[in-house]
Amino acid sequence: MNVKGPEILFEIPVLGGIPITETIFNGWLVVAAISIVCFFLGRNLSVRNPSKRQIVAEKLVLTLSGLVENTMGKNNMFFLPYIGALFSYSILSSLSGLLGLRAPTGDINTTVGFALIAFFLIQFFNIKNKGVLGWLKGFTEPVAFLTPLNIISEIANPISMAFRHFGNIASGIVITGLIYGALAGLSKVVLGWIPVIGSIPFLQAGLPAILSIYFDVFTSFLQAYIISMLTMVYVGSANEANQ
Amino acid sequence: MEKFQEFVAIAPWTMIFTWVNLIILVLIMKKLLFKPVLNMLAARDKEVNEMYSKAETAQSSAEALEKEYSEKLSLAKEEAAKIMKDAKHDATLRGEEIVGEAKKEASAILEKAQKEIEREKEAAINEIKGDIANIAVDIAQKVIEKDLHEKDHERLVEEFIDGWGEDK
Amino acid sequence: MEMTEAIVRAASAVGAGLSMIAGIGPGIGQGYAAGKAAEAVGRQPEAKGDITSTMLFGCAVAESTGIYGLVVAMILLFANPLIK
Repeated sequence: MNVKGPEILFEIPVLGGIPITETIFNGWLVVAAISIVCFFLGRNLSVRNPSKRQIVAEKLVLTLSGLVENTMGKNNMFFLPYIGALFSYSILSSLSGLLGLRAPTGDINTTVGFALIAFFLIQFFNIKNKGVLGWLKGFTEPVAFLTPLNIISEIANPISMAFRHFGNIASGIVITGLIYGALAGLSKVVLGWIPVIGSIPFLQAGLPAILSIYFDVFTSFLQAYIISMLTMVYVGSANEANQ
Repeated sequence: MEKFQEFVAIAPWTMIFTWVNLIILVLIMKKLLFKPVLNMLAARDKEVNEMYSKAETAQSSAEALEKEYSEKLSLAKEEAAKIMKDAKHDATLRGEEIVGEAKKEASAILEKAQKEIEREKEAAINEIKGDIANIAVDIAQKVIEKDLHEKDHERLVEEFIDGWGEDK
Repeated sequence: MEMTEAIVRAASAVGAGLSMIAGIGPGIGQGYAAGKAAEAVGRQPEAKGDITSTMLFGCAVAESTGIYGLVVAMILLFANPLIK
């Protein structure tokens, strides 16, 4: 059994060929889905007598804004849409695995993308709040010979963020693939002697669904929460000087 | 011919498309979800605050009205008491006046009656005087049985009466 | 298949297995964290929500090393840079 990366669906023949992979295409689907949900939720809001749909929208927005305010502080509330976008993109990407799509978060480039945004935001706010010299000096603290370690730990943050998210989702993909392969083999061994029914891998029904509840649903929620939380904590602590 | 990327490989275009997706998503969520909902929540807060301030002003005005009314009520009570007192006073005065007038009238009537009585009495006395004279003449005629001279007769009577009247 | 490639593949498979030893650390750590969280819930049942979310967050961060091992194992098995 061979675990492959995302399939290249087609190539746009500009700039030496832009490969449109499953990751990118499913990402578009996720963006479209979130846009539709947002359009549906944010429509016809009334101050009095909110509908059930509006109560859901309010609850979502208030929960998220409470989380952002608690974690990042009031001066970072302009991050609310980014955190919302990151959380919803991450969670729907991971959950799209349930629909048989290849989860975009199961591609390391997506999660590295998330992590690099957080990394650049952290460095941007450090430079903005301390100045270039203060930012550079920050690496030599507390002692000058720790500079390489500081730089490594600074770079390790986005890498660990990216690998954590990617590893969880990709391991789900791999393990689901392995279990499907194994169950196909098992049902061939057990039921293969029956002429017509033997060609259908019956054992593939049932067990993978239960496992996917852990590997897809639970992990999806947890990893979306973790990456949003870590982004908020790191960026919030980089931008708390002007509180 | 299906082509696959490596399981773990850096693909810059995927990363760029992820960023583009995220930016689009940020703009869409901001425009379609966060901005309307937060605006609505702010409007609701504003309305609730307005309602509270309205209720407070209404309450304070109601309290002021109540105070005013109670003041007016006590004033009215006072006035009523005053009016009652005045009326009583007036009535007493008037009563006294009436009583006084009545008394006066009564005394006038009394006086008039007395005068009348006096006059009646005088008239009666005069009448009686005449009667007595006649009776006396009759008696004298009878007693004397003497046919006096008419002249003598009249003189005698006059003398008698004058004497009687002087006696009195 | 050349001999060298076969050796590299075999060694990579062994290496992938060895790299998964990294799973021991997070396992112990997460078990410890979960135990402490259970203790905390027992002591303060009203803070169950906060404790659970904090524990999950801590667990997910502590899981990093295990995930590194997993990623290394997956790279060795499915995207081996040593085989060209």
